Amino acid sequence: MAARSAALKVDWAKITTSLGLRGQTVAGLQAFKKRNDDVRRKVQQLSELPTTVDFAHYRSVLKNQAVVDEIEKRFTAFKPATYDVSRQLKAIDVFEAEAVKNAEATKQKVDLELKDLEKTLANIESARPFEELTVDEVAAAEPSIDEKTAKLVSKGRWSVPGYKEKFGDLSVL
Amino acid sequence: MPQLVPFYFVNEITFTFIILAITVYILSKYILPRFVRLFLSRTFISKLLG
Repeated sequence: MAARSAALKVDWAKITTSLGLRGQTVAGLQAFKKRNDDVRRKVQQLSELPTTVDFAHYRSVLKNQAVVDEIEKRFTAFKPATYDVSRQLKAIDVFEAEAVKNAEATKQKVDLELKDLEKTLANIESARPFEELTVDEVAAAEPSIDEKTAKLVSKGRWSVPGYKEKFGDLSVL
Repeated sequence: MPQLVPFYFVNEITFTFIILAITVYILSKYILPRFVRLFLSRTFISKLLG
């Protein structure tokens, strides 16, 4: 059976550790594993039981032959009910494909983000101290400085509000 | 007094105003905005450093 062999292939311990699952997901996964194990054990137990009935023995033991005949007739006529699981399997396949697609998309997004973060980190690590920066570099990093300068100059104001309070000035007056 | 010779006087006046105008222009266009920009960058950096 394909489904059973696929279930056997799953390395449950690895799933939890490699995917870094936590909390409810792990609990759910363990419950699912337990259910799977229980059902598998049950199937094995049941498949080991004998499935043939010795009708000749019963016929020789029981007086009421009609009952034995009836039961034998019913027994031979019995067919285990079969379920068409292909639809569910198809749904699962579709779901899996969707999940894989989502995971790929997420991975791509995360990779992009990671690259961006690495770039930012390199930028931070290679940054020079403020003492070594020129005004042009600061203005290039923060365009609002140039905008503010143009605004103040166009108004004919040559002092920056808040500068004197912070840095003082050399005016004697 | 040469200052009172009309041609010399007019020359003085003319060049005084021309130089004043040029000084004001250069100051307002190039020199003072540089200071404003410098002060703004200083305040920006000091804001960055908290």
